[in-house]
Amino acid sequence: MDTNPDKIDEKFYDELKQHYTTEEIVELGAFIGFNIGYHTWFGTLGFYPMFTPDGRLVDQEESARIYGDKPISHTKGAIRRASEGLSRSTTIDVAE
Amino acid sequence: MAIIPPVPCDQLETNKFQTRMELAQELMVPDTLFLQIMAHAPGYAEALFDAMYQSHTLGNVDHCLKEIIRIRLARLAKDDYFGTLRSKKAFDLGLSEARIEAGCGDFETDTQFSAAEKWALNYAKLMYTQPKKVNAAFYDLGKTLYSEPKIMELGAFIAFHYGLQIFMRTLKILPLAKFEQPI
Repeated sequence: MDTNPDKIDEKFYDELKQHYTTEEIVELGAFIGFNIGYHTWFGTLGFYPMFTPDGRLVDQEESARIYGDKPISHTKGAIRRASEGLSRSTTIDVAE
Repeated sequence: MAIIPPVPCDQLETNKFQTRMELAQELMVPDTLFLQIMAHAPGYAEALFDAMYQSHTLGNVDHCLKEIIRIRLARLAKDDYFGTLRSKKAFDLGLSEARIEAGCGDFETDTQFSAAEKWALNYAKLMYTQPKKVNAAFYDLGKTLYSEPKIMELGAFIAFHYGLQIFMRTLKILPLAKFEQPI
């Protein structure tokens, strides 16, 4: 839907109907559309999550250091960087 | 046959949909067909209609400007359903088809739009074509023309409507009836 919406044609929906109910298809479509719209907008706002992967409330500067310039998986360093920041003040160990 | 057949009106739960169907008939954006399709997932239908209706008709940004933006986005999304719909409220407020076309065209050199209107139209234009240009400098300029709440209102409006237009495009539906402006 985001990259090649022309491919989401009747045939695509016919296949989808073999796996999902109409209610689920409507739910999925609206959910995907909503997220396409909002992720791009949020991306322009330049803000970062308020919480680290391990649940600490952090300021935007530290959050930017943890999460990096682009959204990344928590397994790609965010948890490690969060635990490094945490170790400066406490000794809680966060496994990655 | 429609990809997602609309739920017949007489099968919609009155307590959930009657008022919303009336609002849809009154504003025409979205029309009742949107509710009938979304009604397959009733909770989504209620929430999405409310968000769509309120983001378009409430708030502090001019409704007519948002109507132009909405149509511009629908054309970008290649969604004939939302691109064909017209807000009756915007028409009542004096928005003409000529002004809509101007806003969907080369508005940047068009003297009928104020600097603030041009920034808002550019916000919608760039968001899904060149989002990297919607940067801190772009927002700094926006803050000289709009309050932060208005910028949030515009951004949320753009994101929400474009997202649903992308979905509706795939369903290949058209409005039940186009609101025709009297000549």
